[in-house]
Amino acid sequence: MVSNRVMSQGAFDAVVSAHHEEIYRYLRRVVGPAGDAEDLSQETFLRAYRAYGALPKDANVRAWLFAIATNLAKNHFRAESRRCRAYGEVQVAARGAEAAPEGALASRETARLLDGIVGRLPLKQRLAFTQRKIHGLDYEEIGQSLGCSAESARAHVFQALRKIRRGLDGHGLLPGGPPQ
Amino acid sequence: MSDKPTACVRIADDLLAAAIGEASPDASQRVDRHLATCGSCRREFQGFRALDGTVAALREEPLAGETVVQARERLEVSLADLRTRLLAYRVFPSPLGHILIARSELGISLVEYLDRGTSLRASRLGHEMGVELIEGGADLEAVYRELLEYLSGRRRRLEWPLDLRLARSEFQRSVLQATAAVPYGAVISYAGIAQEVGKASAARAVAQALRWNPLPIVIPCHRVIGTSGALTGYAGSKIGYKERLLAIEGVPLARESGTPQVQSGAMYVLSPGEQEYCVPTCPSIGKHPRTLLTRFGSREDAEAAGFIPCTSCRPDLHPISH
Repeated sequence: MVSNRVMSQGAFDAVVSAHHEEIYRYLRRVVGPAGDAEDLSQETFLRAYRAYGALPKDANVRAWLFAIATNLAKNHFRAESRRCRAYGEVQVAARGAEAAPEGALASRETARLLDGIVGRLPLKQRLAFTQRKIHGLDYEEIGQSLGCSAESARAHVFQALRKIRRGLDGHGLLPGGPPQ
Repeated sequence: MSDKPTACVRIADDLLAAAIGEASPDASQRVDRHLATCGSCRREFQGFRALDGTVAALREEPLAGETVVQARERLEVSLADLRTRLLAYRVFPSPLGHILIARSELGISLVEYLDRGTSLRASRLGHEMGVELIEGGADLEAVYRELLEYLSGRRRRLEWPLDLRLARSEFQRSVLQATAAVPYGAVISYAGIAQEVGKASAARAVAQALRWNPLPIVIPCHRVIGTSGALTGYAGSKIGYKERLLAIEGVPLARESGTPQVQSGAMYVLSPGEQEYCVPTCPSIGKHPRTLLTRFGSREDAEAAGFIPCTSCRPDLHPISH
């Protein structure tokens, strides 16, 4: 009997159940508006479904989904930037006060500030930072999704952290003063 | 240009790594030694450590619940639509020319002899409406390997899950299902299949349905022949393939006036509804029309299909001599 995970109907359902919310959260954080995150997360899983049968059995499905989502996010920003140039619009930060999180964070103000700063980071830094610090991917996985080495992925995360720290520091929210 | 001391510049990356818990033991020791003597780097370390804690809190941040639920619901709808339409395919070389194999999520949906090239344009898939095609991967290679084993006589069964949605009608689907039940090494007539699907007079319609069999080889329409033993037709004009497939399975064939013919008289016989197989001269088979008999090339094949020797003619004691 041919062993084929795509032929078992439940296999991809399990992938969706395990990873959809996290991929949606990732895209929500990196692209901003809920509608865009919804569209891109849907496209992530439709693409994944098309390719799932050809995925090696031992593949890291989670990292693979992040890589698809990251590619789509990059394309999204490329298209946005073309559209903005074409219409002479000023591109605003991807996230601001409207996307402020509700709930558990001790300080909503800090979270809001953090979101705003992350939204203004250069795209690769924003993607790398979110993958590493919010979703806990390792640098190898981040490098694969960004098309760079693990070392470069680490450098993007470190640059992002330094910029975030500089951004938060003016508000007296962190001890130690600005990074030197 | 930074006016930081060189030692502080050199340790900067290790310091940040240590603050967020990613430094190696060596780097951590270097940072500890440096922090013991450098107040400004100590403050910087504390700042990054506090930042890491703040950032970590974002991981627990709940999403506005309805947005993720809506996104999931919309995804399920789109995915359900895609699942009904998507076929993955690959074209492989084989002893019977290039063969295209396609699968859906339900199973293998098409096995097609390509005789006009190896691109999709040579395939009926190129003309199927409402189907989305993607190139398949390693999963289809496994199917292909089993097919090659079968074609070389090293495998008797192809136990693939099948998707019959490319069948053109309910009648064709029922013909295909009845044909799928014809055992390895056996043959039956078109009229026999017509009887199986409850349309005894529809032998020609059965032949037509099998002419467009979307799953040749795995649904063994090559085991369905004319009442006279003539091979009649196969996948259009590929009667030579039918001859080869039957030969692989040990069905005795001869050429009469240049035309391949199954040697029915040299085969064991199974009457409809019986559990015992006979030699062709057994009196017990006379009560059934010849068209409805299933014939086996060997006792082994009949017994592998679950049948036992007839207790009257005793094919086990008096086998057919070839």
